[in-house]
Amino acid sequence: MYDTASEHAPAIAAAILLLAVLWLIPRTLSMLANRGIRWAVAPVDVYRRASAITKLAAGLMLLTGAIHLALIPSHEGATGFLFVIDGLGFIALGVAAFLTSWWRRPAVLWLVSTIVAYVIWIIAGWETPDQIGIACKLIELVALGLVLRLGPPGRRTWPRRVWRAVAFPMLVSLTTVGIWVGGLVHPDALHAHPGALLQPVATEATPDQREAAARLITDTRASIARYRNPAVAIAAGFKPGPASSAEPLRHFENPANAKIILDPNHPQALVYAQTKHGLQLIGAMYQMPRAGQWGPDPGGPLTQWHQHEGICFSPFGFEFSFETPFWTCPLGSTSITTPPMLHVWIIDNGTQGPFAADLDQTVQKQLQGS
Amino acid sequence: MSIASRVITAKTPASPSSVPEITSVLVVTQASFSLVAGLSAIPFSIVEPGFRMLSLLTILVAIGMFWLARNLRRQGRWARRCVIALEALSLAASLLLMLLPIGAVRGPVPVLVNLVMPASVLWLLCSRSGRAAFRRTGRSDARGAA
Repeated sequence: MYDTASEHAPAIAAAILLLAVLWLIPRTLSMLANRGIRWAVAPVDVYRRASAITKLAAGLMLLTGAIHLALIPSHEGATGFLFVIDGLGFIALGVAAFLTSWWRRPAVLWLVSTIVAYVIWIIAGWETPDQIGIACKLIELVALGLVLRLGPPGRRTWPRRVWRAVAFPMLVSLTTVGIWVGGLVHPDALHAHPGALLQPVATEATPDQREAAARLITDTRASIARYRNPAVAIAAGFKPGPASSAEPLRHFENPANAKIILDPNHPQALVYAQTKHGLQLIGAMYQMPRAGQWGPDPGGPLTQWHQHEGICFSPFGFEFSFETPFWTCPLGSTSITTPPMLHVWIIDNGTQGPFAADLDQTVQKQLQGS
Repeated sequence: MSIASRVITAKTPASPSSVPEITSVLVVTQASFSLVAGLSAIPFSIVEPGFRMLSLLTILVAIGMFWLARNLRRQGRWARRCVIALEALSLAASLLLMLLPIGAVRGPVPVLVNLVMPASVLWLLCSRSGRAAFRRTGRSDARGAA
């Protein structure tokens, strides 16, 4: 769900370059100062006197500033202009941390404004949440936490104590929720639903592709008809997936077919619906051997593969939660990206069609009630 | 006094008291992420009673991490030991998941959150200045555990 946009790639290069520069400059200046170069003494002295928290907070602000400046070419109009101001502001504050005593409050304001603005942009749909943007917010949140720790203790009243304790975790949590909400409200065209990424395909199917798609349905239906009885499928090597009251569909997978690609005689899984009268065969699932390896799509846009990502799987094997934008899952579960898959529904799948990533909701309700 | 010797005199190591502050900020950030992950699992756990336990456990661990972060800031040695154990466990699990072909770690965000942050906390707490910062206080240990 949260990919790295290709146009944001320069930000990674900028971050690596800046980290190298931040590592090199203090060492070079220190070496020059030790050799008696006069102009190098003052900056080294200033750097040495700064606390470790100040150095780290300044370093993180310089890092996010450099990333913002590297992202300017991929942002047009007002957003691009804001990136210029933001990037320069962070760099100025990163330098000011070593030279001034007043930098703390402006830094808090700058960091909070940038984080809040990003969440607003995401919720409004003006920006798509991608990993570079989210990583940038992580850097800014940690920098903010450090800058807040540098503040004077102030009066020790209870409201102040409570506010100091909850303000930062609350902002981290609200930022996570905000990015999440924005991503769910404005999914891009290649997301069938949260957690399912679709294969990029052409918009129109050619007559040959329509014919190939129809042939795939016919061949699949003919091939899997022998497994209407789940016991036959089990005898043939298909292993039943876990039963769950939350998931009305059950996948029976055959590990022996794992490396075979789009062969109607050897599908990777059979899909059964849990009805009142037992399991009913409703389709087959083809799956590629590795994540990110899109399969052949003989039907073009009609046979579009999808892969599941950003879903937290529990040890019991059910999908039960979405991963947060900061890539965290509940304890005891882990984020899994499945290899691309293609469903072929051998029953009428309503408006969704025979190759849809999901079963039509109306059809699903009918099956559950039957 | 020569310029070089002035520089060398100024070359004092970073204040050991910075380590508890920096690690507490990192642990609070991690705890906030865990809290959101635990809370977000609640709607999904409505249909699967077994998952209520995982959701509740995640929230409890997040609360525990907030408490540990508070005691790290107070230089509690007990908190330091607990955080080292938790972060080592988290890092080991993330490294193991990274080796498996399940796509658990893809891109800069999971690398930062699941590898760089726990590794940084571990490095800070196990560094010489980190050990020194927590060696200084003896009473805080009892206060943290209380």
